[in-house]
Parts: sequence; C-alpha cells; structure tokens
Amino acid sequence: MGANFESKYLMNKFFIKKSSIICFIFIPIIFLWHPNWLGFLGIQPYWPLFWLLPWSMINGSINGLIFGLFLGLILDSVTLDSNFTQIPGLIICGILFGRIKLHSDILVGHFRYGLICSFGSFLCGTLYFLQILFRNFSDSTFLLFLPSFKNILAEVFLTGFFAPFICSQLLRMFKFSRRKLHS
Amino acid sequence: MLDIRRISTSRWWHKKKSWVFFGIFIFLVFVRISKGSFYKDFYYFISKPFWPGQFQKEVLLKSIEQESLIKLNLLKKDNIRLREILSLQESYNNDNISAAVISRKTGSWWRQIILNKGSKDGVEIGSVVIGPGGLLGRVNNTSLLTSSVTLITSPESKLGVWVDRIQLNGLMVGLGDDYPGLILYSKDADIKVGDFVSSSPASTLLPPNIPIGIVQSIDEPLKSKKTAKISLLAKPHVIDWVQILKVNI
Repeated sequence: MGANFESKYLMNKFFIKKSSIICFIFIPIIFLWHPNWLGFLGIQPYWPLFWLLPWSMINGSINGLIFGLFLGLILDSVTLDSNFTQIPGLIICGILFGRIKLHSDILVGHFRYGLICSFGSFLCGTLYFLQILFRNFSDSTFLLFLPSFKNILAEVFLTGFFAPFICSQLLRMFKFSRRKLHS
Repeated sequence: MLDIRRISTSRWWHKKKSWVFFGIFIFLVFVRISKGSFYKDFYYFISKPFWPGQFQKEVLLKSIEQESLIKLNLLKKDNIRLREILSLQESYNNDNISAAVISRKTGSWWRQIILNKGSKDGVEIGSVVIGPGGLLGRVNNTSLLTSSVTLITSPESKLGVWVDRIQLNGLMVGLGDDYPGLILYSKDADIKVGDFVSSSPASTLLPPNIPIGIVQSIDEPLKSKKTAKISLLAKPHVIDWVQILKVNI
C-alpha cells in the first residue's frame, strides 16, 4: 500500500513539474489533428500561441525567443512547406510576450490574453503571407494570392476568441508547477 | 261512346330496360368516336402488373454497365498500347495503393493530408494521390508508416494542366484557399466558365489525363496572361479514402 501511494505521489509530482513540457509536446499533435468542428471557414486558431504566451509571460523574453524557435522548428517539420517558415513570427511573438507583465485583475487579464494572441497571430500570419507574396513576386502572379488574406483574418478572430479560455488555464497551471518547483 | 284513354305505364320510354340499352348505345358511339381510347387507358391499368417491369430494367442496366466497363478496359489497353508505340508517358498503372486520411489540414496556409500508408507499403515521394473526383495532390514526404501529401490548393503547389476544349497548356497554382488559380500564357485564350481541366500530357510531374477541376470564374487579362479560378472535382476536406498512384516518369 505504502509503495503504491508513494509511486502515485511521485507520478503526480512529475506531472505537475513537467506540465508545461507535456503541453508543449501536444501542440504539434493538435496542429495536425485540426479538429474541424472548432474551425471557422475551415480555418483553425493558431495553436502554438496559446502555449507560447503563458510560457513567455512567466519565463521572460529570452525563454520566449528560444521556445519560439523550437516551436517553429517542430511545426515547420510537421508541415510540408519547405519554402516558407513560421519561425520568424513565433520568435518575435516569444520576445514580445516575454515583455508583458502579469496583471493582477483577472477580468482585464482574460481580455488582454485575447487581444495579445490576436495581435500575435496577425503578426505570424502576415509574415507567412509576405513570404508567399515575395516568392511569387517575380511571376507577377502575386495579385492572385491577395484573396487568401481572409485566412489571416479568420485566424486572428479565432485565436482571439479562444485565447482567454486556454491561456488563463495554462498560465495558472504553469504558475502552480513553478511554485511547487520552488517550494 | 266516349273512349277513355287508358293511362298506360307500358310506353317504351317508361321501360327501364330500353334506357339501359340506350345508355349502352351512347357508350358504344362514344367508344367509336374516341377510337377506343377509353379501352386503351383501361387496359393500361389492368396490364400494369404484368409489364416488363423494374426487374428487367435492372438487368438491362447491369448489362449496359458491364458493356461500358469492358469497353473502358479495351480502350485503356488500346491507349497504353498506342502510348507505347508513340513512346509517350504511361497514363495509369494498375498497382495503386489505397490509403485512409488520418490527418487533414485543409484550411489556412498549410494544406496537406497525412495518409496511413508509408514507405513500408511502397509509397514513394512524388507519387500522385487521387480521390473520388480526381487529383488531390502529390506525396511530398514519407515516414515508415505515414505519408504526407501536399494538396493542389497549397501555395507550394504548381502543376502543368491541360484545358481540353481549347487544347492549351496552362499552369495551376495553389493560392491557399479552396480554389486554385489557372494561368494561361496567352492573352487571346478563349477560356470559358465550365471548361474542364485535366493534368497535362506535357507535365513531368503527373501522368496525363487525370481529371482536376472545372473553370469557375475568369479574371481580367493581365500582361499577356489570362487567369482563372478552378473549382476542384475532388474535395479534400471530405474525402476519407484515397488512391496512391505510382508514377514511372
């Protein structure tokens, strides 16, 4: 009985300690899973930002930069586009999010997450879109691509919509695990 | 002597029988005038259960289907033989691999599907993936158990296509939305809405004559180019099973 209880306790401790890393592993899986019922016009929220925001808010800009790079590397390898990359957008978001201070007022905090994530996804989407435009600039067919700007708008809307729910939960979880870690 | 006339009930028009005969006579006249149409219609209802009915229809349809299948096979064989004689690319092989779609990203910029067959099952990079309706994309990457397919709607995808009605080659570019763009490098190309687009016989990436889509709208000509939007025949956001064709190019 005692051994069983101890192992359970250790497992719990492990999961609490590593909750942020476990969530990190699940980002590419959600990105691939692409649940259609969550989408809007077939477009999904930009999932990596939901994790990157609380992580950078707690651990600062440098950590945000590094994990933005990691996320970008993983997502680039999961998606097939060899010409375009998501790394610059995620790095910039990581740095910017790291400069945001934790707000004490909960309600304002919730709305802030939505706005910040919307801004982040707009930044990432625009950087990606610009890469596509520049690559096709020489063909002078880049005007054809302009209607797909709606992808960015839908993504911004969805990311902003889901961010308050997901980010605040993740932030609470990460804070909790840190507190446990330090105590 | 006053002969009192007997009030008789025995006049002919008082007899029911004679009226019945009269009725029958009128009816026969009607039948004669209408050339028996009433009879024919009556016969229609009586004979309905005994018609060469649904069953025979099914048999006929089945044999017609078989006939077209045999014809199709003969034509395919003919096509392959003629292509061999002319030393053109082979169009189809019979060694297709069926695969299920296990991940689907059909919105936003990243347009890809992941299939449950990988290099273990003999899928090669560059193989063509078709679904019900026509072309879906090309295999871009394989792992041991899975293979990733770049859809033709992805901004990465550029393919040579053939517009059959005007006998002209064009370039199909994925735009990151559901309707890829078609670029024709001729200002006077007489392309119309509804034109059928298939894979080009000149393409080095695809086998020829795979159906792709239909021209949905045409834009204004720009710098000696004509551009159009194509509505795809195969819908990647609903297809669950696909075929992977090996390409020997």
